[in-house]
This record gives sequence, structure tokens and C-alpha cells, in this order.
Amino acid sequence: MNLAASTATAHTGHTMAERIAIRDLKFYYGDALALKGINLPLYDRKVTAFIGPSGCGKSTLLRVLNRMYDLYPGQRAEGEVLLDGENILAPGVDLNLLRSRVGMVFQKPTPFPMTIYDNIAFGVKLYEKLSKAEMDVRVEESLTKAALWKEVKDKLNASGLSLSGGQQQRLCIARTVAIKPEVILFDEPCSALDPISTAKIEELIDELKSDYTIAIVTHNMQQAARVSEHTAFMYLGELIEFNETDRIFTTPKDQRTQDYITGRFG
Amino acid sequence: MSARISPLYAGRKRVNAIAMALCYAATAFGLMWLALILASLLINGLPGLSPAIFLENTPPPNAQGGGLANAIVGSLMLTIIGVGIGAPIGILAGTYMAEYGRYSRVTSTIRFINDILLSAPSIIIGLFIYTIIVVPMGRFSGIAGALALAVIVIPVVVRTTEDMLLLVPNPLREAAAALGMPRSLVIKQVAYRAARAGIITGVLLAVARVSGETAPLLFTVLSNQFWSLDITQPLANLPVTINNFINNPDPNWKKLAWTGALLITFAVLSLNIVARTLTQSRKSK
Amino acid sequence: MSDHIVRSFDDELLALGRSISEMGGIAETMFASSVDALVRSDTQLAQRVIATDQRLDALEREIEEKAILTIAKRQPMAVDLRAIITSIRLAADLERVGDLAKNIGKRVVAMNGQFIPQKIAGGVTHMSDLALDRLKRVLDAYMNRDVETALDVWNNDEEIDTLYNSLFRELLTYMMEDPRNIGFCTHLLFCAKNIERIGDHATNIAETIHYLVTGKTITVERPRSNASYAPLEIGEIPKGE
Repeated sequence: MNLAASTATAHTGHTMAERIAIRDLKFYYGDALALKGINLPLYDRKVTAFIGPSGCGKSTLLRVLNRMYDLYPGQRAEGEVLLDGENILAPGVDLNLLRSRVGMVFQKPTPFPMTIYDNIAFGVKLYEKLSKAEMDVRVEESLTKAALWKEVKDKLNASGLSLSGGQQQRLCIARTVAIKPEVILFDEPCSALDPISTAKIEELIDELKSDYTIAIVTHNMQQAARVSEHTAFMYLGELIEFNETDRIFTTPKDQRTQDYITGRFG
Repeated sequence: MSARISPLYAGRKRVNAIAMALCYAATAFGLMWLALILASLLINGLPGLSPAIFLENTPPPNAQGGGLANAIVGSLMLTIIGVGIGAPIGILAGTYMAEYGRYSRVTSTIRFINDILLSAPSIIIGLFIYTIIVVPMGRFSGIAGALALAVIVIPVVVRTTEDMLLLVPNPLREAAAALGMPRSLVIKQVAYRAARAGIITGVLLAVARVSGETAPLLFTVLSNQFWSLDITQPLANLPVTINNFINNPDPNWKKLAWTGALLITFAVLSLNIVARTLTQSRKSK
Repeated sequence: MSDHIVRSFDDELLALGRSISEMGGIAETMFASSVDALVRSDTQLAQRVIATDQRLDALEREIEEKAILTIAKRQPMAVDLRAIITSIRLAADLERVGDLAKNIGKRVVAMNGQFIPQKIAGGVTHMSDLALDRLKRVLDAYMNRDVETALDVWNNDEEIDTLYNSLFRELLTYMMEDPRNIGFCTHLLFCAKNIERIGDHATNIAETIHYLVTGKTITVERPRSNASYAPLEIGEIPKGE
């Protein structure tokens, strides 16, 4: 009797398109190798979670995807990251244009020191010339998408800094959504938030994935299990295991993954 | 509870009490001089304070009345021009150091030299300007004085600008960059905005610093007994006027000198208070 | 498997495993004793079996509570989550085994000391020996996380079924011979059915062990002797009291 054949029928339902393909990616902080040859797909309109202990390279990987590392000297990446087939690591790539396509939400809410309205209009103005009326629509649209509109619609001229932490984070998401990116990167977006705000962000990610390809780094494994379709477990700069989230959290293949998600590491 | 108070703990409490007493004493000692200075300024300077001070020029020796109008206006001009030249240069240099050259060796070299300049005796700066401007021009002039003040302003503004920009959290810059914003806009729209209060405070402190400077002006502007707005000529100004009048036996001049000192001190004091308030409001935000 | 960083989590999982072992031991004993009581028409032993069931029920509740608490506290993942889910399932299976043994005991009491024919007794004993063996092996397999043994138990169910079928025909003959036999024969038939059901629970446990160790559920059909399939069930299966 053949059990293997019968039980390994993990079918995904439908085919998925690769939005981003990471090919043999190596990353250096100066001379230190932080990513040791990563191969990974990010599927279109799906959420991919990166988990792993601190310093495993998951945030580094995320910061390669919009080349945020370029802000700092001495950091460089080798290999290929194909966004819609185009290598974003190639020389001559317009970084600002790239970042308008690959948005990012950070660990700590980072509203700009300006009004709520301007926080959103600011980024839009860089790439589109909108009339006041069109901009009003865009601002409302983005805030609605970020599930913040109802809370701030009467105080759009208040400072973005006057909002609560959870609201600030949703403002940052609205700001990112407003410039209509293709991919949104979340770098531990809930680590500074209380559980209710966290739930709101998770609900938001769930809604956003119908329009965007999403990558999220999180230390909260339950969060990864809840929000993502695929999970990548990284350790010491290597991709240990990449699979459907359902598989990773119930039947991981690698012992290191198992040890990490069950709290046996160290 | 009392059982826990061991001899060791009691000893520590005693040492603490002694140290606190010494701290209070030192503070009181320092504040005493400040109070005495302010008191003597008020006692000697207040009687001379009248509208005439602001309306009339400095009197000739052994005359009655007169004011400080030419000196006040001259001082204002010197300060405004000096800060007007020095502050933009300082802000730009500080911006380079904090934003573009943060990790470069040039920046640490500049920072080191800037710190030396920050503590350089102002008379040396006066001599420097005297050598490169006053001597070639062949005369003392307002512009030379303004330049001397600008040289004093620059290091103060460089330092505060850099410090304030470094205080702007990096994630904020990253967040702006993540929206696809070019570097120059990130600095202009986000970093400056976040550091604005701090940078303004720095400029105000620089104003306060230069408005009392006497030494560099002695070698550069000299002084002028008469009303003049010509910056290519010697210009009346408060510090040098005070310096000249206070050493003179003429009681009228002495009185004017005290009043001038009072004006400068309170101008500096209020500038400091404004700067403090700005920093406070920035912190509490 | 290395230990958890949080040691009390290990303690909780160990405690769950211990409770399952205890339940397994009690269920085995109840089952063996109930068949003993049946074969020897020992009403007193049957009463003791009936009384023991309370302890088993209490243990099941305890395991369930502990398991739920652990899930709430630790949010277990992967192998830990499976271990906890497994303990709940095993507890339910073992509790049912206890109920079935208790039901046999009740029937012994109802038959009130009536001796059963040697031939029938032999069939019942043989059947129960097989079922007991399966139960023992599968519980050992659980303790050792031994998926091979579990699969072996899972694959060898036919013998009990065959025995049950022949016993069924035998009892039918008795009943046709003399209608006065119908009463005790019906009781015996239920007892045999209970034994067969206990064998089924051993199969369930084997499947659970497979899931615990591999994380996969067995999706294929179990091999059956397709020759003479077991007759339709007569009467109702005893529910847990």
C-alpha cells in the first residue's frame, strides 16, 4: 500500500503567477555575507511571510526588494530580483520609480510631520499631477482602503502625529496605497501595536491582497500563520524552507523549521 | 521596615545628604553671581532707560543727554548681516554632514575642525578678519564686522543643524524614500520639517552669541559717533560703545554704557528664552 | 526531540501523555475484565468493570481541559499542536472503549450468571484476545511514536471481522435451534459487536498516531476482506452512559 502517493495531494487549487522572482540573491554588509544565495518566488496577489530568529536576514531580504539598502554605503546585493521579469538589481534602475512600484510599511509608524491629508497627498504629488478635487478623491480612497477614513475624515488637517499608534500605522499604509504600488512590503508592521490595532492591520492585509502582492516580515508566528498564503523560514542568512503556510505550521519538512515554530530553538 | 535599615544603608543615606547639600551650595553660588550681575545691571542701567535712548545718537564727551540710537541700529545691522551670511552656510554645511556625508571621513574632519572653531577665542577671529579684509581695504567697516560675526555664527549653526538632523529618526527618511521620493525632497520636505524647531533654535542661539561679542568688532568695525547706515564705513555698535563709554570718567557716558549693557543682556536673555521654548515645544510634540 | 525553551510547556505535554497512558491502561483492563466476566459468568467482576468507567470518564474530561488550556496558553504549532489534538482524540477513543467494556459488563449482569456454551465462549475469547492485542500494540505505538506498528495494526483488521462473522452465524444457529436461546444469544451478539467496535477504535488510534507522527491523515480506504462482508448491524450500538 502506498501512503506517500495518497497523502501528498496538497493541491493549491489554481495556478499562481510569480510577481517577483528572487534568484541566487547574496547580500553583503561590507564584507559580511548576510544572505547566502536566496531563491524564492513571491506570488501575485498573495501574502508571503518571512519568519525566522532575529538576524536571520528576513528584514534584509525585504529591504532588497525596494533597494532600501541603497541609502547606506557599504551594502550591496548580488544575484537577481526579477519584478515582472525585470531585474531590479541591475545598474541604471531608477530607484525612485522602483520604490513607487514597491511600497513599504515599517516597524514603527512613521507619519511625516505634516497634516493627515498632506501625509497622503505628498507621495502622490511626486508622480501624478492631480487637481484638488481629484486629490481629495484619492485621499479618501486611500484612507478608506486603509480602514482609517471613518476615524479621521473630520480632522484631515490635524497633524499625522496626533493619531494613535495603530492609526498612524494605518495612515502609513494609506500613504503607501495612495501611490498605487504593485507590491507592498511590511516590515514587522504590528510589533509596536496593541492587539486590537494588530487585528485591524491583519484584517487590512487580508483585504489588500486582492489588489497587491504582499510580503511581510514578522516575529509573530501566529500572525504569519493567519495572514499569509506562503511562508519562508530563514535562518543565518539562508532560506531553510519555503512552502504553503498551512504546511509550514502543521507539517514543516525541515527539523530547524519545526524547532523554531514550536519554540525549541536555541 | 525599619529592621531593613542596615548601617551600610544609613551610611549611604548620609553620603547622599552631604552630596545633595554640596550640589545645592554650588548651584546657589553660581546663581548668586548671575543675580548680582543682573541686579547691578538693573540698578545702574534702569535709571538711564528712556525713549531718548532709542531716538538720540551717542553724545559727545562732557555733554548732557543723548542716546544709543546709532549704536543700536548698527548692532542690529551687524547681527542681521552676520547671521544672514553665516546661518545659510552653517545650515547647508550641517545638512551635508548629517545627510549626504554622514559616513564619510570628510565629515568627521569637518566636525573636528568645526568644534575647534566653536571654541576659538573671538578676538582671534577679529584679528583674522582684520588681516584679510580691514588691511587690504585700508579702513574699518561694517562689512568686516559682519563677516567676523558670520565666522562666529557658522560653527554654532553647523553643530546644531547636524545634531538636529541626526536626531530625525532614520525610519522617517526611509519611509519617505519608500514612497519613491528623491533624496533632495526627502531632506527638504521631511528631514527639515522634522528638525525645524531645533535648527531655528540653533540660529537663535547663534544670534544671542554674536550680539554680545565685542572683541572681533574692535578690530573690524571700530565705532562711529554719528548716525550711519553705510556698511563700508565704520559703524556704531553697542558692544564697542559700551567698551568705550564705561572707561570714561564722564558720568553721562558711564550711565549710557550701563543702559546699553542692560539692553544687550536682556536681548540675549529673551532670545535664549525663545530658543528654549521652541525646543520644549518640539520635545513635547 | 529537543526541549522547548519554555520548560513548563514540556511539562504540560508530558502530563497529557501520562494521562493518556493511564486511560489506556484502565481501558485495557476494563476490556479484559469484561470479557473475563462474560466467559466465566462473573457478575461481581462485571460490576467492578461498570464502576471503573467513572474514572475513565473523569480522565477524559481532565485531558480535554488540559489540552484546551494548553492550546489557549501556548498557541502550539506543528508537532506540538498535533500532540495536543491527538491526545484529545485518543482520550475520546479510549473513553469509548471503556463504554463498550462497560456495556459488556452490564450484559453479563443482565444475563445473571447464565453459562454460555463452550464453543461460543471460545470464539468470544479469541476475538477479544485479538482486539486486546491490537489495543495494546497501538497504545505502545503511541508511547513510542511508532508509526510502523500503528500502520501494521491499521492494516490487520480483517481477522476480527472474520471471527465476528462466524460467531454471528453460530449464534444465529443457536437461536434457530431453540427460541429460549434468543435472549442470551442477543446479549452475546452485542458483546461480540462491542469487541469488534473496540478493534475499530484501535484502528482509529492507529490513524491518529499516523497523523501525530507524519502530520498527514490517512486518506486511502482500509483493506477489507471483500469476500463475506460483515452482516448488517442489528439493534443499536450502545451509547456512552
